Amino acid sequence: MKLTDKYVGYILVLPAIAIFCAIILYPFINSIFLSFTNKSFVSNEFSFVGLQNYKKIFLSPTFLQALKNTLIFVFFATALPFVGGLIWAIFLDLKFRGAGFLRGATLVNWIIPGASISFLWAFIFDTNRGIVNEFLKNIGIGSGTYNWLGSAETAMIVVILARTWQMLPWYMAFLTGGLQSISFDQIEAARMDGASNWTVLRKIVIPGMKPIMVITLVLGIIGNLQHFDIPQVLTAGGPAGATTMLSTLVYREAFSSYRMGSAATIGTIWAILLGIFSFLYSKKVARD
Amino acid sequence: MFEKSRGFKVFITIFAIVIGIFIFFPLFWMINTALKSPSKTYTVDLFFSSFTIDNFKNVLFDRQILTYLRNSLFVSFTSSFLSTIVSMFAGFSFSKFRYRGRASLMSLIMMAQAFPQAILLLTLYTMMQKLRLDGSYISLMLSYIAFVLPVGTWTLKAYFDQLPDSLIESAKVDGAGWFRIIFQIMFPLAVPGVISTAIYSFVWSWNDLLYSLTLITEDAKRTLAPGLVMKYMGEFNNNWAEMMAASIVVSIPVTIIFILLQKYFISGLTAGAVKE
Repeated sequence: MKLTDKYVGYILVLPAIAIFCAIILYPFINSIFLSFTNKSFVSNEFSFVGLQNYKKIFLSPTFLQALKNTLIFVFFATALPFVGGLIWAIFLDLKFRGAGFLRGATLVNWIIPGASISFLWAFIFDTNRGIVNEFLKNIGIGSGTYNWLGSAETAMIVVILARTWQMLPWYMAFLTGGLQSISFDQIEAARMDGASNWTVLRKIVIPGMKPIMVITLVLGIIGNLQHFDIPQVLTAGGPAGATTMLSTLVYREAFSSYRMGSAATIGTIWAILLGIFSFLYSKKVARD
Repeated sequence: MFEKSRGFKVFITIFAIVIGIFIFFPLFWMINTALKSPSKTYTVDLFFSSFTIDNFKNVLFDRQILTYLRNSLFVSFTSSFLSTIVSMFAGFSFSKFRYRGRASLMSLIMMAQAFPQAILLLTLYTMMQKLRLDGSYISLMLSYIAFVLPVGTWTLKAYFDQLPDSLIESAKVDGAGWFRIIFQIMFPLAVPGVISTAIYSFVWSWNDLLYSLTLITEDAKRTLAPGLVMKYMGEFNNNWAEMMAASIVVSIPVTIIFILLQKYFISGLTAGAVKE
């Protein structure tokens, strides 16, 4: 490329970099800095407290529970839509009539706002004869008034199901791309040698899709570590903190309890977790 | 791909039915509930027996919701437009220029989505207050642009990469300035990428809850997602029929855009991760 006026290159990228620095880089660094202070939300005065916030946080049952919840949520809300999305992608790849339409219709779940999705799942699992309770009662399980979202044992299940419902189409879209990139010749050749479906899946399909599977999983994990909408609207972290995630805890500490220092500390620990996965992701992308 | 043996058929049929119901039943139930009279909300009846559009009327004639709707349309269109422009400039720069720091700037922008959004808000909120931009859409739009940048820049860079440099060279020989080269020569050729970035950005702004809930506190300025959450959260267990209608109303614009422009959308969805 022989474009001599390289200043034009700088000027063009300037707005993007300026916004990136103002909205992401500076707030990020400043928030980490806040985690070493006792700043409250309402006043501008603060002093340094060293690692005190971190000590307190790691002894706080609320934080430890949110950390545990986040890990449980991330595991199931990634694994379920991944496996479901893969099977659904394989099914739609059978190329029957209407498969294309179904694929498009599936994506609607992913496109609609998280707020709508939360309303919908709250209704489905409503205590007073929501459809799930009604169904269970009709087949003879329970009295039809089980409080799914109000019980610590089941609230997380509903949150994970709602998130699975939202994200399954996204995994399907990525994995369909992966399926379609697998060479037919290789499969044909294996068939000649008498390979079974199981062998084809294990020896050709999965190895062939491995790069895209890894990227999908890492992006899915990053997205779930970040996720806020569904646990916030569906349960607001309750009952008794059973669905509080790091994302909703940071939000609550800062904007309801006005404890900036503590919110920033939780946020920093959370950022480190995310950083690990993002690092894996960028290494993966760089290698491919 | 797979031989349609009996085992495979049984396996795929069972799972296709289970997953199919899981995907489509809730959506059907939302529509069904919104279309029947509130007295039938808790029955398993289908909407034909008591068909009504009152729930939608209630939502659409609600002045508060109409305000949220107008605000959402304004914010989403404007930030979609702005983030497409910013992404286009950055993508063009990364694609057609070579300068020092290019590679590090590229990976910096790529990382933008991996920062935990809630932690940024801690500082953003006070920052916007100091700049007297709190409660203004500018703070919201700047945030949306920042989060759309990685996918937007990458998508558009991929499109510009496919365009030959000779196009630029010959335009320069003809005496065209950079402004003309970008908007009259490159832009028309990158339209699919521009559309997919614009849609991606629109959907991002439309669906956002965390930022709009935090940065906009004045009710008259609220956008649809946080507006509906604030309006209906207090009365959970109550007006499900109207809530389902409201959920459909807020989903319609993004769904229509998606149906019309599905092709571009899916390429946008996978671009950030797969291309490059």
